[in-house]
Amino acid sequence: MPFKHTARIVRTAVLVVLGLFWLLPVYLLLVNAAKSPETFTTKESWIPTDFSLLANMAEAVRLSGLAESAASTLLYAVVSPAIAVVVGAAAGFAIVALRLRHGFAWFVVVFGGTVFPLQMILLPLFDAYSRVGLFDSRTGMIIVYTAISIPFSAFVMRNFFTGIAHSVFEAAVLDGASTWRIFARVYLPMASSALVAVFILQATFIWNDFLLGLVLSQSDTVRPIVTSLAGMQSTYGGAQMSTVLAGGLLVSLPTVVLFLFTQKFFARGLALGQY
Amino acid sequence: MTSDQTTLNRPEERLRRSSGPDRAAPKRPKDPFARSAAGFIAPGVILVAVLLYLPLLWTTFLSLTEYNGLGDPEWVGFANYLEMFDDPGFIGSVLNTLLWVAGTLLVPVGIGLGVALLTWNLKGGTWLRLPFLIPYALSGIGVGVIWSFILSGDGALDQALAAFGIQDTPRWLVDAPLNTVVMILATAWQGVGVNALLFTIGLQSIPKEPLEAARVDGANGLRLFRSILWPMLRPLTAVVVGLSIVASLKTFDIVQGMTKGGPGRASETLALTMYKETFVNSEYGLGSAIAVFLTVVTLAASILYLRQQLSSKHGV
Repeated sequence: MPFKHTARIVRTAVLVVLGLFWLLPVYLLLVNAAKSPETFTTKESWIPTDFSLLANMAEAVRLSGLAESAASTLLYAVVSPAIAVVVGAAAGFAIVALRLRHGFAWFVVVFGGTVFPLQMILLPLFDAYSRVGLFDSRTGMIIVYTAISIPFSAFVMRNFFTGIAHSVFEAAVLDGASTWRIFARVYLPMASSALVAVFILQATFIWNDFLLGLVLSQSDTVRPIVTSLAGMQSTYGGAQMSTVLAGGLLVSLPTVVLFLFTQKFFARGLALGQY
Repeated sequence: MTSDQTTLNRPEERLRRSSGPDRAAPKRPKDPFARSAAGFIAPGVILVAVLLYLPLLWTTFLSLTEYNGLGDPEWVGFANYLEMFDDPGFIGSVLNTLLWVAGTLLVPVGIGLGVALLTWNLKGGTWLRLPFLIPYALSGIGVGVIWSFILSGDGALDQALAAFGIQDTPRWLVDAPLNTVVMILATAWQGVGVNALLFTIGLQSIPKEPLEAARVDGANGLRLFRSILWPMLRPLTAVVVGLSIVASLKTFDIVQGMTKGGPGRASETLALTMYKETFVNSEYGLGSAIAVFLTVVTLAASILYLRQQLSSKHGV
């Protein structure tokens, strides 16, 4: 027993030390993002001097059109996953409840869209978007984010619907309900927890996207927020480091907070193979 | 097929009637919901086909051509692939990518497992895990902003080392391959938490009985880990390792954010080389060939965990 007790203390101690070490970059970010550009110096990073965090954030927003980026990104991160979960659920419904012929083959087709790297689609998308006027447009961004969110959504929803007894569907048919009605009124409500999980995962992914924004957009109004942050870092990283750090903090807060409050969803989704 | 049948409310009978009188045999229709099912899966298939598969095929085609966006692609066979393997910059990029794969396996997966084991059944374990989880939901660029600041010349790290009397520090983001190593460590800083979370879920799902039995038999610490925990964590470990390999092969954001692949091409990864050849040098054919190469390697690695994944029974 005393041995076990000691082991616990040692484990806790190791975790506390390692955890504090892990928080050092966060500390440095907070301290330096709060320094006003006048007091900020690259030589004294560890000591807090003043608290101008909010002013720095405002300046970051002003410098690089971050507010417009944020509004657009919020739009992408809400609309695209919302469409994708419904489209994915419809695919799962067709395969599981309606017993689509060669359902598994179709499932592999849809899910297969997620296994290759984005690099494989960048150039044709850029080319095609430029030709049809979708380049640097919000519609274009929403379409591409929706498409890349569908495979994972279909994957999870198919799995989820497999767990619902087929007699539920048969009973609804006998009641005379149309397939659309059964989908919208019976299957979707039952799957709400899975829908939310997929939505949160995809929204985070879209909020954090850099590459698609870099290739498919240009203007401050369309460009996603992380891509704008990268631009701000290369433009102002030298002269106004504390402003850039404040911008980074501002951009990161939504997903970090969302993640900390919805850890369980993430863990389950991730165990299923996203990213 | 008698038309005087009046109770036609069941779908199969509705369908049977509509199949007409020339279908003599009263065969059971194959599927009353076939059309409806096609309608439900169509949006997903169409979006994925148009936005993912069509571009995929076009990239594969372009990899066999010479093209810069103007005029028409010109067929050159495998010339781009030959050029690619002749280019020392590309070989360096492959080596860097391999370093990323090995490094992100060793550090975030290893430490993640360690944190999961340390917090397992520990009072307050959830809270002790929290510091590792905070960086997880940051974007690659966000991580890059923080670490570029810390690692800059005379930056936070150099100041800390100086406090311990270490003056002659390397140029973290300039000297290769050190710059790749420190970027891998920055990624590890971000990735440990989620691996710890996954391993924690794995540990929690281990049945209690064999554990208790082993404890009664006096197994502890390393013995317990080797004989009970590790074998039971194996399937999950395969998933975590597979994910880690696939993600590291695609490394782009953090490198683009911290070094842009530099100095020169010293810290380029495959994803970055592809981006530069395509969108900076307008070498569409060569860029596409690199994308195809990266895809083939990623697919090979994916098989590791896809088999596990497609056979898994649990949903969210």
